[in-house]
Amino acid sequence: MPMCVLNLQRSYKYMMYATKQPSLRINQADLKCKNGCGFYGNADWNGYCSKCYRDHLGFEKQKKQGQAQLEKQKSNAFTKFEEKKKHQSDKKSKFLPLFRKPSNLKELEKPHRNSDLKHSNPDADKLMAEFMLTFGQLSESLRHDFFKYIQVFIKRIQTDINMNKPIEDVTEVAQKYYNTFNNGLNTSSTFKDLPSDVRDQLLDFFEKYVMTILFSSLFCPNSTNDEEKDLIIQERIRKLSWVNAHHLDCCISETSIEVRDLVYTAITDLLGMDSVKAPLDKLNCVVKCCRSVMEVLQHCQGGPASADEFLPALIFVVLKANPARLKSNILYVTRFCNDSRLMQGEAGYYFTNLCCAVSFIENLTAKSLNMAEEEFDAYMSGQITCVSAWESALVACEGMHQLRENLNILKDLSQRTTIVQEGSKMLREDIEKFKNELNETVSVVMERTPLVIKPRKSPISLNPHHEQSGGATDVSLRKHDFDQSEPENLNFYHQNLEIGHLNDYTKENLQLDITPCTLIAENASTISVEPTPEDHSHNSFGLSKINYDIDFSDFSGENSMVEDLTPERISLNVTPDPFGPLGTSSAIFQEPLVPLNTSLNVQEKTDSAKSKQQYVLPLVEKLETTLLDEDETDIQNLPSPMKPMSSYSGFSKQGLQIPSIPCNTGDISYLNAHSNASTSSKDDS
Amino acid sequence: MLQLTQCEVISNIPVRVNYDLENMKTIIGKVVILGHQGVGKTSTCTRYVEKTFNRHISPTIGASFFISRIKVLDDYVKLQIWDTAGQERFKAMTPMFYRNAKAAFLMFDITSEASFNSMKNWVLELRRNVEQPMVLCVLGNKIDLAERRVVSRDEALAYSKTIGARYFEISAMRDQGIEIVFKFVAMELLRMSTKNSSATSLKVYNTENVNGVMASSSELEATDIGNEEIVNMSINSIAHGHTVPSRCC
Repeated sequence: MPMCVLNLQRSYKYMMYATKQPSLRINQADLKCKNGCGFYGNADWNGYCSKCYRDHLGFEKQKKQGQAQLEKQKSNAFTKFEEKKKHQSDKKSKFLPLFRKPSNLKELEKPHRNSDLKHSNPDADKLMAEFMLTFGQLSESLRHDFFKYIQVFIKRIQTDINMNKPIEDVTEVAQKYYNTFNNGLNTSSTFKDLPSDVRDQLLDFFEKYVMTILFSSLFCPNSTNDEEKDLIIQERIRKLSWVNAHHLDCCISETSIEVRDLVYTAITDLLGMDSVKAPLDKLNCVVKCCRSVMEVLQHCQGGPASADEFLPALIFVVLKANPARLKSNILYVTRFCNDSRLMQGEAGYYFTNLCCAVSFIENLTAKSLNMAEEEFDAYMSGQITCVSAWESALVACEGMHQLRENLNILKDLSQRTTIVQEGSKMLREDIEKFKNELNETVSVVMERTPLVIKPRKSPISLNPHHEQSGGATDVSLRKHDFDQSEPENLNFYHQNLEIGHLNDYTKENLQLDITPCTLIAENASTISVEPTPEDHSHNSFGLSKINYDIDFSDFSGENSMVEDLTPERISLNVTPDPFGPLGTSSAIFQEPLVPLNTSLNVQEKTDSAKSKQQYVLPLVEKLETTLLDEDETDIQNLPSPMKPMSSYSGFSKQGLQIPSIPCNTGDISYLNAHSNASTSSKDDS
Repeated sequence: MLQLTQCEVISNIPVRVNYDLENMKTIIGKVVILGHQGVGKTSTCTRYVEKTFNRHISPTIGASFFISRIKVLDDYVKLQIWDTAGQERFKAMTPMFYRNAKAAFLMFDITSEASFNSMKNWVLELRRNVEQPMVLCVLGNKIDLAERRVVSRDEALAYSKTIGARYFEISAMRDQGIEIVFKFVAMELLRMSTKNSSATSLKVYNTENVNGVMASSSELEATDIGNEEIVNMSINSIAHGHTVPSRCC
């Protein structure tokens, strides 16, 4: 009687794979058992009903045994030889594991598997760790009992597999053991006192443990043709790639990006089913997938989804996912998941839906898609090769994605452009402001320092008179500002140079008369902004050269002068840029003519004098020196070509005059005396 | 009339009974909802879920599957409600859903003759594939559209009688009579489990005596009757105080 019940239960389970279920119109007679007993038959059972199939199997087995016995009796002499041969072939198959047949390997595999179980199975270690983590606080005896159950179960299943029993029998044994363990949980003294949820956990873990260990031999077993079924369904789904949501009356909007992402999540979950080992874990994957599908539906229609919408959506997802070993996975779960879990609860519901979806796909016809036979056939045979909506949606989505990205980039760019534009506007304003300020200052300065413009006597003359050239310098100064960027105009440049020297002098002269030196410095700086880069480089070059010269002088001359020279250097730096190059270039032109040491000597004197005098700004000092120098160059001639003339660009003018005076060689005593005199005069004052 | 093939087997298939710590019986039963597309399967479920599970059920999970725990006197009955897709094209797959089901709601739309006829097909399918005892409930939905009624109450009642089912009229929109259906099923399942020991068939509970009551009652009265049933837990008084003779076997 219990056997009968079991049979019944199993038959429900297999119903879902019965050919009669999915095909829409099949005669009742086709569905009946081949034996004619009145019950329904099943393709998995060669068209028999469960009972007749069992009988049939038993009969076959007997027949085989009988045959074997007969053969044995017949060929007694051969047996030894046969055995030997078999042994050899076993050895061979051991070396060629790819081609091994389970029947030949019974004896050989058994110890191998056991060792596998005990030592080299990383899964077992992992599971053990998990067990300790979850149930570690439970008592030792309980753990002992638990693993005893597990060992018994595994051993039993392994012997069954090794005996090459049909998978249905193994399934039955497994389910029986689940039940036994469940009963043990509920009744045995060790487990009884546990709370019910812990007992449920233990039951689940029991299943997980044994199934993970036995996965390799129970998943897609050799005795079945599960693999072929996998290939068939895979091929089928591939052929049906043109089916879209519209065909299925499913409300998934394939073009929406959000929906697409959710569908992807569902697909990923479904694909994950193949990567876990325990049936319960596989079920969990299905549940996750289905929940994602529910979310998709909710997103698409904005309300809770019903089964009417859910199933088509799931079919759609399965079609688009085309999971690996789909059929094997489903069969594995059906066979070895605890019935009580599979039949009930959310997992059971969703798994049933998945089975439905697979079954629908397997038996899909033109009618079930609400389309004409011809059209369906054309699609299936590939005559109509439309890009499936999903694919095109992907492309479209990709396009949209690209578009969005590009738009974002453009937005970013426009923002940057506005920033740049604002910046440039500000810059322009600044420039404008600066220009105005500059003009203002220039005009103010011009007003403050009115210059009388006088015609120049001779432009190239190197010996213009001070007073006369004073006016001319101003003109040339202006010219200089405009034309400085034309180095090829050497003549004019030369002129400018000369005038520059004059100008320097005259300007200072004027400053002394009218304006405070600070203003001049400011003026000079404003002017110095203007020159073009070429000029600038020119300037810097000139300056460096000047410095160099000064350094030279510092070392070549008396040490005492070094200190004295420093204020001059400062003044050099302060001197307006445009005059820098003039100085240098003038040096180039007039080098042989300039015995500038005189000025140096003079300066020494003035500096020493100045130290006691009230300290004014360097420019003023310089001015003083120039004035002094002018007086004294005539008297004392200390020609020293090494001495710098740059800082005394103003003096180059006088330097020009100097050569005409006969060379009185250095009279230092006089110099000292002079300085002494000046200091004494200072003291007096 | 349906023929039960293996009566003695049936009594051996127990409704799964769990004993809680308080020694309170919890019966778990699977209930499938069958019916043509658009008869209101989902809205009925949603309505029921909304009313009773507002606090627990996360809104993301659809109403296609849910568990309802109903207390009947001292016992709990856990109903697992499985909604099915009603489209014709999925009809071939439905047997997967109702295997191991303990009860079935057969729904039709009283304003649609087609839905009533298709419901009849469902019943045939069910009979063909399920050999277990099952609590059958025929539900006529959309009584709020009474003026457009096509299937008369008498017709539905008569049919329910022939298949040995209980007939209810409900309105998912106005939330009429839904709760009573669930409670009825819960009680029936409880009775099935308690009667397991006896040799009596659990297949169907007769609806003979319901006829008069249902026919004369308005929809709202039907709800009252349902409540009354729940109060009366005696097996014999379930069908309004009348003994229910077993139909089959």
